[in-house]
Amino acid sequence: MTKMMYRDAVLSTIMEEMARDPDVVVLGEDVVGGMGTAGGPEAIGGIWSTSTGLYDRFGPTRVIDTPISESAIIGAAAGLALSGKRPVAELMFADFIGVCLDQLWNQIAKFRYMFGGKTRCPAVIRMAYGAGFNAAAQHSQSVHQILTGMPGLKVVMPATPADVKGLLRTAIRDDDPVIFLEHKALYATSGEVPDDPDFMIPFGHARLTRAGGDVTIVSTGLLLGMCEAAADRLAAEGIGCDVIDLRTTSPLDEEAILDSVEVTGRLIVVDEAPPRCGLAADLRALVAEKAFSSLKAPPLQVTPPHTPIPFARELESAYLPSIDKIEDAVRRVLAWR
Amino acid sequence: MPDIRPFCMPKWGIEMTEGTLAEWKLEEGSAFSRGQLLCLIETAKITNEVEAEWDGVLARVLVPAGGDAQPVGALLAVLAEPGTSAAEIDAFIAAFRPAEASAAARGGAAPAAAPAPAAQAPAPQPPVTKPLLTNRAISPEARKLAEATGLDIEPITGPGRDGRITLQDVQQALRAPAIPALHGTLAVVEEDAKVFASPLARRLAAQHGISLVGVKGSGPRGRIAKADVLALIPAPAAPAPFALVPNPPVVAPFDRVRKVVAQRLTQAKQQIPHFYLRSSARLDELLALRKTANLVLGSKATINDYLVRATALALAQHPDVNVQVHGESVHRFAHADIAIAVASPKGLVTPIVRQADRQPIAAIATATRALIDKAQAGKLAFEDMDGGTFSISNLGMFGVEEFAAIINPPQAAILAVGAAARTPCELPGGGVGFETRLALTLSVDHRAIDGAAGAAFLATLKDLLETPERLFA
Repeated sequence: MTKMMYRDAVLSTIMEEMARDPDVVVLGEDVVGGMGTAGGPEAIGGIWSTSTGLYDRFGPTRVIDTPISESAIIGAAAGLALSGKRPVAELMFADFIGVCLDQLWNQIAKFRYMFGGKTRCPAVIRMAYGAGFNAAAQHSQSVHQILTGMPGLKVVMPATPADVKGLLRTAIRDDDPVIFLEHKALYATSGEVPDDPDFMIPFGHARLTRAGGDVTIVSTGLLLGMCEAAADRLAAEGIGCDVIDLRTTSPLDEEAILDSVEVTGRLIVVDEAPPRCGLAADLRALVAEKAFSSLKAPPLQVTPPHTPIPFARELESAYLPSIDKIEDAVRRVLAWR
Repeated sequence: MPDIRPFCMPKWGIEMTEGTLAEWKLEEGSAFSRGQLLCLIETAKITNEVEAEWDGVLARVLVPAGGDAQPVGALLAVLAEPGTSAAEIDAFIAAFRPAEASAAARGGAAPAAAPAPAAQAPAPQPPVTKPLLTNRAISPEARKLAEATGLDIEPITGPGRDGRITLQDVQQALRAPAIPALHGTLAVVEEDAKVFASPLARRLAAQHGISLVGVKGSGPRGRIAKADVLALIPAPAAPAPFALVPNPPVVAPFDRVRKVVAQRLTQAKQQIPHFYLRSSARLDELLALRKTANLVLGSKATINDYLVRATALALAQHPDVNVQVHGESVHRFAHADIAIAVASPKGLVTPIVRQADRQPIAAIATATRALIDKAQAGKLAFEDMDGGTFSISNLGMFGVEEFAAIINPPQAAILAVGAAARTPCELPGGGVGFETRLALTLSVDHRAIDGAAGAAFLATLKDLLETPERLFA
């Protein structure tokens, strides 16, 4: 095990996979990080520092700075993937999927299906997402609910450096397009990461990070830590929470959720995306349909309200889920009469 | 349509099933105003006045005063606004269905119970609920329930848009607060990179100590699911059938003490015609006195020491019980040498407290303690056990309620003492209280002592124990 930051887990996995497989290619805005500046191509490094050193090691044919055009990045990744490469494309901000939605939704997601299984599209699209940086409505969003709803895409939302390692490797080696969502607020968090050069975590395999018999809390990404903190607080009062980290929203580990709710009878989904037609609504509907007889209280969701993300710091923190809000939701489901 | 209302047998209280119309206070056809007395109705319990709830006319009387009892809900009369025609009243009566089950079961009291077309509008009932006055957004069903139950909806924080209150919110507010039974936290079973299993499968495997390495999973992408682990849990082993095991005796020849005990007690039980007298003594005064005496005198006398003292005093009063039997003669003694049965490491021994009737409690306590210590150490001398005019065997410390002992010859009686027990008793002023009683069983050799003599001795002993001040005389 090695202790490393979330962003270093991203970088080292890409580095290892590029070294292992010459077909792995990185492209995105400013991934070289300083091209054209006085200090040289890598003087600055990408804004997330997730590609530092790649250009130096693998050169311009495998580390490609693109124009500021998401449709070009994703379109090029689609072409690379169809022609046998394993592109790892980076969207600097997940908010901009709208610009490249056709490439994602109608092209990448559909190739295998529309060509009768005769082609494959092993593209990884990495995107930085999430709020908490006072970055306003266009640079703070969580877009997984849109992408999870698109058949043909796999959607990964790692919460820890170890999961980044295991899931990104699985994503790069996977023969289908994978959306790899990295939370901006997690980049600087640290954790133990296995040293095994082939360490992989299969998709659709949730992780139980806290175990308890009273309430099931399902979450992903940054909010997982809040769920764990809330569960730890409640544990002091004898309230036991199963905290489930989905890790991937597509494929979905339905079994982990249902198995848990069958024990606890109470579900809370904590999500950073707005409440309508999202992951939280989807999972609650799943449980209402398949575990109705186990439910002791209505499944609740803890999400932001149905509004764009506010700019003001105070409003942004009021907007986002918090440990207090999760704790309150647990108390509400337990208080159901 | 004119306002026509049924006037039915009211239901006053949950037990009322029927009532009798005692008296109409109005003539048929006369007008009344709100609050005016309409009639008197009798139930099994009360006679009550019924007042009009609105202004109208007593249009039709269906049940005259003084008739048979009518079930709750039975139509007694029809009230209407002035100017309602007789035909409209008839139609109303024809369409009327009693709401109350008991009236319906008896076919209803309405004389014209002919089926009416469904289109006929039900009679407007006077409102029984208070309208909900609120500016809060509330669903129609929620409003209905809140009105019917009189619930104060203001504390409810509606989850709907703009805090709109739903039926669910009202139902929740009407229920008692929940006290969920909590299961608490469980240990997280760490993931193992070599094993691809669902969280529950992992937990189950850990609980049952099953290794999942190499297990083939039936879940998606070969993942080990709950069912795969359940299949691996071994069925609880059937309990081994009962089988006999060798149970050889451990042979221990009688030692000297046991030989003597066996020989003497066999002889006693075979040759002495025992009879048994049972009694019990109230011990509360003695217990209280012992506490005080121990405190004041600084002695550590036990209940057994008081028993020895009381027995010795009783024997001194009843020398015909304080005897030994030798062949065909009886030896009487003026003073009581009391043998006390002591369980020693070598078996039962019976050291003797000499002339206990002449010794104060404290001296008896000291002597007894010394004898018991010697017995425990196996150091009793022959002269410690020789003779004796009476024995006491006390098994109360083992919780034995009562028992009968075998006489230790040449003595002619032995007292068996059980445990002191809290026993219900009748109090002097009536009623029931509790007292501590000690069970006493006297085994007597009928060759030397007759029943009456034994009984007289036992009565004296009981008396001494119950008035323990005399033990200090």
